[in-house]
Parts: sequence; C-alpha cells; structure tokens
Amino acid sequence: MTQTRNLINENGKRTDGRTIDELRTVKITVGRVKNADGSAFIEFGKNKIVAAVYGPREVHPKHMAQPDRCVLRCRYHMVPFSTDTRKNPAPSRREVEISKVMREALEPALMLEDYPRAAIDVFVEVLQSDGGSRCAGITAAAVALADAGINMRDLVAACAAGKVDDKIVLDINDTEDKEGGADMPVAYMPRLEQVTLLQLDGKLTPDQFNGCIDKAIGGCKMVYEIQKQALMQKYFGNETELKEEIQQ
Amino acid sequence: MHDVKRRYVIPGDKIAEGNFRPLMNVIKSGNALIATRIGIAETGRDGVKVIPLSGVYIPRVNDLVIGKIIDHSSLSWEVDINSCFSAHLPAQDVFGRDFSPARDDMGKHFAIGDMITARVMAFDRTRDPMLTVQDRDLGKIPTGELLKISATRVPRLIGKRGSMIQTIEQATQTRVLIGQNGIVVVTGRNPEGIKLAVRAIRMVEEEAHTANLTQRIKMLLNVPDTPPQQEAQRVGAVDASKPGEIESTIDEVEEELEVEEEK
Amino acid sequence: MSASKRSTIIVEHLRKQQMWDGLARGKRLDGRDFNEQRPLEIELDVIKKANGSARVKLGDSEVVAGVKVETGEPFEGLENKGALIVSAEVLPTASPHVEPGPPDEDVVELARVVDRGVRESEMIDLDQLVLVPGKTVYTIFVDCSIVNADGNLFDATSYAVVASLLSAKLPVFEMQDDKVVDTGNTQPMPITTVPVSITAARIGDYLLIDPNSEEEACMDARITITTADEGFCAIQKGFTGSFTVDQIKKAGETARIKGEAVRARLKELTGKNG
Repeated sequence: MTQTRNLINENGKRTDGRTIDELRTVKITVGRVKNADGSAFIEFGKNKIVAAVYGPREVHPKHMAQPDRCVLRCRYHMVPFSTDTRKNPAPSRREVEISKVMREALEPALMLEDYPRAAIDVFVEVLQSDGGSRCAGITAAAVALADAGINMRDLVAACAAGKVDDKIVLDINDTEDKEGGADMPVAYMPRLEQVTLLQLDGKLTPDQFNGCIDKAIGGCKMVYEIQKQALMQKYFGNETELKEEIQQ
Repeated sequence: MHDVKRRYVIPGDKIAEGNFRPLMNVIKSGNALIATRIGIAETGRDGVKVIPLSGVYIPRVNDLVIGKIIDHSSLSWEVDINSCFSAHLPAQDVFGRDFSPARDDMGKHFAIGDMITARVMAFDRTRDPMLTVQDRDLGKIPTGELLKISATRVPRLIGKRGSMIQTIEQATQTRVLIGQNGIVVVTGRNPEGIKLAVRAIRMVEEEAHTANLTQRIKMLLNVPDTPPQQEAQRVGAVDASKPGEIESTIDEVEEELEVEEEK
Repeated sequence: MSASKRSTIIVEHLRKQQMWDGLARGKRLDGRDFNEQRPLEIELDVIKKANGSARVKLGDSEVVAGVKVETGEPFEGLENKGALIVSAEVLPTASPHVEPGPPDEDVVELARVVDRGVRESEMIDLDQLVLVPGKTVYTIFVDCSIVNADGNLFDATSYAVVASLLSAKLPVFEMQDDKVVDTGNTQPMPITTVPVSITAARIGDYLLIDPNSEEEACMDARITITTADEGFCAIQKGFTGSFTVDQIKKAGETARIKGEAVRARLKELTGKNG
C-alpha cells in the first residue's frame, strides 16, 4: 500500500473534511431488530450496519455443543448493494476472515462458561460500507450482546487508526483505506484495558506503530462512551440517576 | 432494605470496591466488583448484585413455568419454555410408573400446541430441563389470553409478597397466571377486564425499573392508593379455593432472591 | 427436490382459540379488519452508495432494497433489452429460525415472485437501456435484504423493490471506442407503470390481507396478486391448502382495490407517475 496522491490538504483537512484526530460521526440505536434477543444498528461515518444476537439458544446440529461452555458463532456479511460495485451475496474470503477475527475480538469479553451446551449467534450485516466496517461491526455486536443480557466482563469497543500522507490519523475512511499508507483496526475492552483485535495492513516504522496503536485506543475509548450512552438511553431513558425509592 | 445503594449499570461498570461479596451478575476483579449485565446494581450489607433488565430465561429448579407442547416421542413431551433449551416432560410423570407407549396415547393427553403449567424438577449444566405436572394447579391450561414478557420483569410483576399482581387481579376481576419464564395467561369473565389487565402487565414490563410504578399502575386501574394493611382483605376474582396459587408466588419471589444469591 | 416441512412456528392452542373467537367477530388478533394492512413505512435513499434504495417496514417485517446499475451482456433471446435481475436474501438476523447459507426454496420463490411482478408489468422500459444491441446493455441489479421477518415478506419485499426502482438515479453510460464510459451524469429510471402486490392468507373461510407471522403459521393457503395499470400481471398461490374459484376472484378484486391505495402512496413518495 504505497500512496499515490495527497489525501490531506494544506489546511490539515482530510478527504472528508476531518482533522487527523477526528472520529467520524457515530450513532447507535439499541434494539433495532424486533425478533432478535439483542440488537443494535450503527452508523459509523457512512457505514450502516445491523448487528443481531440470538442466544443463548440450543445448538443445531447437536454434536457441535460443548459440555462446559457456550459455542459462539459470528458472521460478518456484506449485502450486495453495500459497496461501490455490486457484491455477490455468497461469502467471500474477506468476509470469512473478518467473521473469525470478529469472533475472537468478542469472545474474551463474554462469560461463555455460564451457558454450557448452548450457542450464542452474532450476525453482523453491512448494509453500506465505508472503511472501518469491521470495527463498526464489532462495536455494534458488543452492544447487541449486552442488549441480549449475555454475561460480559466488559464491553468491546473498536476503532481503526492508520497512516495517511505519512501522518498517523484516527478512524480511516474508505478512500484512505484504499489509497493510504497503512490501516490498523483495533478492538479494546475499556475497563480491563485489553486489546482483543489487532490487525495491520501496510508499512509502519516502530515509532509510527506506537503512535498508531495509541491513537486507535483513544478512538476506542471515544466509541465506548457512545456505546454506553446508547445502552443507558434505551434501558433507562432520560433517567441517568436512579431514584432511591424504587421497591416498595 | 436499609443502606442499600442502587445504580444503573452496564456490563463492565465498577459498582463498588472493597470487601463485598459478589452475588448475582457480579464478578470480583481485583478489589473491584463489576457488573456483568445491564440492570440495577444494589450494594447492601450481604453483598453486591445486579438485577438484570434483559436476558433469555435460564431455568432454575422449582421454578413455576408455563410452556407449550411442541413435540413428543414415545417417552416424553418436548416443551418450549421460552428459554435457551427445550424442556422435557416424562410420560411417567403423567401416566405413572407402569406407563406403556402402546396403551397410553401421548398425543391425546397433551397435544402439540397445548399450554401447560409445570414445575422445573431438574436442570443442571449437563442436561436439558425436566418438568413435572404432579402438583395441584399444574397441568393443561384450558383457556385464557396469552402474553409474553421478558423473564427479567417477572419479579416486578409479582411484586413484594404478590402485591403488584394482586392489585391488578382485583381491579380487573381477572386471574393472572405468571410463569417465571415470562409467559403470562390472563383469565376472566369480562373481556374489558382482561384487556385492562393486559395493559397493566405491559406497563409493568416497560417501566419495571422506574420509581413510583405502583402508583401509576393504580392510576391506570382506577384504584385508590390504599395503605398496605387494607390489601390483605381481598375482595375480588382471586379464586379463594386455590390459595396455593398466591402463596406459591410469594414463595417464588423469596425463593428466587435466595436462589439468585447462591449463584 | 421439494419436501414437506414441519412448521417452524407452532402456534399455541390458546392463541388459536383467541384468533377464531376474534375472526367470528370480524377482528384479527392484532385488532385489524380482514382487509386492513399493517402500518406501512417507506424510507427512500437509505443507502447512498446504491443507485437507488428503500427501506420498507410493513408492520414489523423490515426489508432494505438496493439498486446497482452496471453494464453487461443482454439475456439470451432479449438482445435488444436491458437486463433486470431481482434477488432476495433473508438475513439470519430476521428470525430465530433462519440459518445462514444459500437461499432455501421459500426464499427462491420469494425472489422469483417479486421479480415476476416487476418484469411482467414491464415497469422498467428495458428497450431504452441498450448501449450496443446484442452486445452491451444496462444491467440493473435489485437486491433485497430482509432484516426482520414478521409475515408477508412478499409484499414488503415487493414494495421495497418498487420504491427503490422508482427513486433510483440511472447513471448515463456511453460507448467510447468500444469501451463503456460512465459520463458522470444521471437520468431517471424509465418507468412505465407501478406494480403493487397484495398477499392474502386463507384461514378457514376467512381471507385476511397482509398476514403477520402468527397468521401465516395458522393459514391454510396464501395468494399473492400483483396488479399494474391494465390489471393483473403476476399471481402466485402458495402453501399446502387450496382455494375455491370464488375466493380467488374475491382476492383478485381486493388486490386491485387495496393495491391502488399503495400505488398512490408510492407515486406520491417518489414523485413518479407511471
């Protein structure tokens, strides 16, 4: 991935008008899919992604069940009209890989030993993609898991950072993903301060690498605040403080 | 409940620090007590717990559940109890030890689609839940209006010592059967009463976490806000010939809190 | 090969009793009249990357459709027409009973019936979408993703397809030295008519428009009727029961009347007059 043109202009503005430290607009709605046990819809810049959780539920086929813990199944899938050129609905190798790293990003946060012989299914459907869809998908999936009442040690928030015009920037968009120097998606458990997903696509010096991961973690923390807000809003409405006399 | 601090939490939130005992939906991480679900955290003298506001019903032994017959083999019925696992009701539980598949017709006794009240007899990490209908008030539900609520709201719908559900039953002249698994059946002679009871139940489900819910329910039902002693003199459709129903709900609430704390 | 299936949803006897009591009084479980559709929400242009898109909510059934326009070879035997391909996918988010994987016979049928309604009504004037006769034509892909399933996916999907086509902006392609070039301009889709599908379920002797998933689990048979300006253009009887001829004629009449109301709504929303 070597850049061919300038993606940041003289005023420090990127192709979508942001500065190098700016996160795109993120909006999360909890409980969007009625039939699911838990769900969330996220708009992360121009990404539009639905995450739905079914579980814990019975495992089919039965032989896949594990005696002492839950089976976690994740699917990341892009619908045909989500990309610039129409995509074939059959799963691509990219989707297979992302499904795997997504599962591995969420698993450390889930207390799967609490649900032996059951399965938790996480479906992430990308309706419109614009760079960073795996991070947006993981972010939505974590919210959907909390909405479903699955026992979790922590939430998982995800955000990418990268190298554009030799600068380390936060939250790569589609153009920067395609034409920039490096792309590093990160998923993070904010309370436990643990990284659960880390990938790199591109070239970074050791200094750039440190800068990039720090920036991405900073982005994850910002995303976490939005996740928290969304969950509090759905469950507790505008009451952020609990009134004392609740049970008679 | 004295000295109980309450707070809204999401998974990963730190509830307290120090020498507290982690109770349900709480884990201890170093010195901190962390919530593992969305709900209301309570810090009291016996420990820290989170009352969850979402989540699939996980069966517990002795729970009263309302289930739907979805299949049967020659040895048992398979029952959907709105949980992560299907439950089983053994044929022997109904027909007795000398049950014979050739003679006793499973489908005639409980057909697919029938609703039953049952108790969870056994459930652990190694097997599917087993039910029994061998008890007074258990068995097929012949009639009534069916609704599903989140299992997490059931304690609130029952209320302390059954107070919430009794208020609804009396005001609407109905009888409300509540399964711990969130399935509710409302029966009564007056369709308007049934409709009102359903509305009240939905309201409890939606606002379970808020303050002054009892007052608002009473307003919906047009019931004056009477002091607790008067509620003991019940007049209404609560079936006096079946006192067991009310007692069992009280026991369930208390039992439920104990069972939860043991986790 | 198609084989009989167990129903995935078993409706409780109590609910069935409630349903029959209600039907005898002219009301359905959710309070609707027999000829009443659930609330219909249509949102256009939800996917900016697509050439056209729509999100439809019919009750709790939710479908997102996207139009992508490319160029390619015409279909065999249709050398002087643009190509139109309508596909549908029930996402695994849609219900606890959906398994991820290739479409099963129900979904294939759904996609083909929706496609038939658009194609047989000649909604799109495909004659106008030819670049090089016999060689290069506009190819219009309409893909539907069903996000939440609560009955009558036929109508919900059909409305999403029609709304997204009505509101789509077609790129203007040109041939330059034997290559297809996107001029960067857009043009409206050449629309001739607005097809509308209306689905009814038969439960006993009752014909109920726009069944939800509970009603579909109790139904004996289903009929989907698509009408366009001149009358009927696509019909599909579904499920394992049957209809009398009278019931079919009645369903056809209802489909024309109810379809007109939905058609007016679609036209108004997209500013199009077919």
